[in-house]
Amino acid sequence: MQEDLLQKCLDLALRLGASYSEARYHRHIQTSIFTRNGEMVGYGEALKEGVGIRVIVDGALGFSATNSLDWSSAEEAVKRAVKLAKAHSKLMKNPIKFADARMGRAKYEVACSKPFDSLDIEGKHSILVETWDRVKGSVKDAKVMTLTARYGEEIEEKTLINSDGAYVVSRIPRLSVGYNFVLLHPQKGTLQRSRAFGGSGGLEQLDAWRMPEKAAEEAERLERVLLEGVEPPKGPIDVIVGSEIVGLIVHESCGHPSEADRIWGREAAQAGMSFIKPGMLGQRIGGKYATVIDDPTIPGSYGFYLYDDEGVPARARYLYKEGMINEHLHNRWTASVFGTTSNAAARAMDHNSEPIIRMANTYLAPGDYTFEELLEEVKLGVYMGSYMEWNIDDIRWGQRYVGLECYLVENGNLTKPVRNPVLEVTTKSFYSSIDAAGKELRFEPGTCGKGEPSQGVPVWFGGPDVRLRGIPLGVVG
Amino acid sequence: MACNSISEAAERLVQTALGRGFEEAAVQINRSNSVMVKLANSEISVVQRWSTLAVGLYLAKEGKILLTEIHPANLEQANRLVERAVSAAAQVRPSMLYAPLPEPAEVEPLDLVDSSVVKAMEDPSTLAETLLSATSAADRVAGALTLSYVERGLANSKGAKLEEAATGVEAYLRVFIGEASGQWSYGSRKLSIENVKQTAETALELAEMAKGEPKQIEPGVYDVVLSPMVVGNLMNLVGMMASALSVLMGSSMFARTEPGSKVASEKFSLIDAPRNSELLGSASFDDEGQPTQNKPIIENGVLKTLLHNSKTAAKFGTKTTGNAGMMFPRAWTLSIPPGDSALDEMVRELKRGVVITNNWYTRLQNYVEGIFSTIARDAAFYVENGEIKHPVTRIRVADRLPKLLSNIELLGRDLYDISWWEVNPAVRAPYIMARGIGISRPFV
Repeated sequence: MQEDLLQKCLDLALRLGASYSEARYHRHIQTSIFTRNGEMVGYGEALKEGVGIRVIVDGALGFSATNSLDWSSAEEAVKRAVKLAKAHSKLMKNPIKFADARMGRAKYEVACSKPFDSLDIEGKHSILVETWDRVKGSVKDAKVMTLTARYGEEIEEKTLINSDGAYVVSRIPRLSVGYNFVLLHPQKGTLQRSRAFGGSGGLEQLDAWRMPEKAAEEAERLERVLLEGVEPPKGPIDVIVGSEIVGLIVHESCGHPSEADRIWGREAAQAGMSFIKPGMLGQRIGGKYATVIDDPTIPGSYGFYLYDDEGVPARARYLYKEGMINEHLHNRWTASVFGTTSNAAARAMDHNSEPIIRMANTYLAPGDYTFEELLEEVKLGVYMGSYMEWNIDDIRWGQRYVGLECYLVENGNLTKPVRNPVLEVTTKSFYSSIDAAGKELRFEPGTCGKGEPSQGVPVWFGGPDVRLRGIPLGVVG
Repeated sequence: MACNSISEAAERLVQTALGRGFEEAAVQINRSNSVMVKLANSEISVVQRWSTLAVGLYLAKEGKILLTEIHPANLEQANRLVERAVSAAAQVRPSMLYAPLPEPAEVEPLDLVDSSVVKAMEDPSTLAETLLSATSAADRVAGALTLSYVERGLANSKGAKLEEAATGVEAYLRVFIGEASGQWSYGSRKLSIENVKQTAETALELAEMAKGEPKQIEPGVYDVVLSPMVVGNLMNLVGMMASALSVLMGSSMFARTEPGSKVASEKFSLIDAPRNSELLGSASFDDEGQPTQNKPIIENGVLKTLLHNSKTAAKFGTKTTGNAGMMFPRAWTLSIPPGDSALDEMVRELKRGVVITNNWYTRLQNYVEGIFSTIARDAAFYVENGEIKHPVTRIRVADRLPKLLSNIELLGRDLYDISWWEVNPAVRAPYIMARGIGISRPFV
């Protein structure tokens, strides 16, 4: 039934003068559980569905959305999108065009070996209770001031058609769990940690994540950081950057600046611009270990999709390759502007959102070192395993990561814990300073924000542990 | 559908829920229409129009709390979700936050609608042209203009039945001259074309000031003048931390502070001001149907109150402050009373300082201790002995929020209504000057 409605929307837009039209039915069904110190705070369910319509009229782009699925509401939405685009076309200097692209015609679904309904609410809640029980029991001298834990499942369903022939139907279940705790010691103050697990698929993922056990192990290690942490050494040292931070760094300093809409200035007043300017493909940004890939097609990933929200088939994108700026993330509009083809980066958060250029699963290519080999040649250094605070400037050049679980490296061995070391580097200095990369590739989930209104979409970011040479670290004062 | 029919629809859903065995129910229905013109490279990147129906259900039974948020295709669909909630209720454990819904109280309505906003929504291209023509001297501009009309209906099983309509205007613009840029914003319930134009002109003026080769400054401790854009962003964080639920969740620098404690300079106050009908975010009643009230969160440097709904209030042994959120109490709109300084007087007070006119990407290492950093963007300047010396490259404020609040020495006498991508809820704020704040930049 939705397909008929979508087709009528397309036809009407074209009749009203649109040169391109697109209609997307988009539905999210979500369930969440939130606890504090093992006690239930609230159980929530959410349902969001509707139709998003995008048109090009006289070179201007219009988008309209409604969650009423009757024809009169959809008709009104189409008319408004066309009317507003037409009214604003007088302010266009460079009419919007979409590059030609092969359009997908497919139906696909992520299968779950353990569907969400194979465990009752009590069973889901008990994972969060166990997380609290184990964390509480894992610390000795410090106290767990609070631990909040959450469970979230969602099913995202879409039907997309456009006037260039796309027809894509998809169903993607996603699961995420996470915790946030504060450790308190009367003399040493507090330490806070937030962590999440997420992926596409069903409850089978919980077995691999083992959140209660991992949270307890982490709390035990972080208690030591709180009680015994020392300042990082002054002056340039070797820094082993853990996979968790490497993933964030490549997301922030490669994925975002490689978004072609950002490079062109479309997000200039919001999420900012890019140090990458048009024409910089092929320029050097780092050494041979600087290969960053964004791949929506990784099975089980949080950012998984096979066709983007413009109907273009997805593939892996090599954004930086062996130190060179290699490829940007494109939708069909930027592909037209840059004289290339879309690589399927258009994503919309929900029916209310226009598709814009987004990452999916971004990671630094692994090397061939074991963790022990990365440490082996370090006389004096710091291993930064996790973080809390981070940020990067609006051209994605100067960035800061404040370590949480960190240790001194002395003569190839991890020794004392280090408290709040600050890695504050430029994009080029980071990618140029990597002299070895680990062989183990790990991913973390995140919700990446961009667009106006802001759209949060699920992504993975990852990488191996890497070694940087000669980096000065700061410390939180 | 007229405004009163959404509260009736909410009331019908309450009855449905009670009929299905829930002891308490509260329903809020928001029906909104909004339009946004997004600008980039001095032209239109997209025009967006939304028509949204959103229903929030709060259902309680035997101390269990179920929350449902739906954007339904129609209201009948909401009924079906009540049915689903019945089976969930059998499995959910009681909530540590449960407290009965409050008894209804008299709500004095506010006039939150400006008909010129509704009219402008039909074709906002004239306003977009105003933004573009006011900045025609720039190399390029980017920004957004949003107009909205929202009807809100609420009913609950204690007998509350309320309605409110509100309009909104938000305009912000980033202006580029070469590599220099300036950004400003404006948010209000009312449309003032003059204020929209002034927003564009202020952004242009800042970009003009920032022309010239920016230089790096050494990391260290500086006196700072922060613009209302920056103050707005940081006070959003303070407002969020003032929510009693943030305190309970360990996400607040007030987690170890009792009301009555000194938390800021005595020159500084922070008001939650929902009853100021000019401010974007103003509202006459909260999600529990309680009347809103203007109140100081911080008054002359002293923490006066956390923000409560009836649930957190019961937990803390106090009364609701009219800030519900069904679960999460929140600030409606924030206001900082002015000082008596002109901006140039504040700059003259800086021996070795920086002026930061915009920021983004504020993140915390530790909410309980307020350890944070945020990055300057657009016009920022190094000041020596009271004189602006040169623009500076993208620096970072990296310090502790409690220290920043305590070190505020001067507040500007002019107030600005700020609302944009990085400031939500809206904030009415002056420039502020604070002493001895950490400034950082990349080491390599």
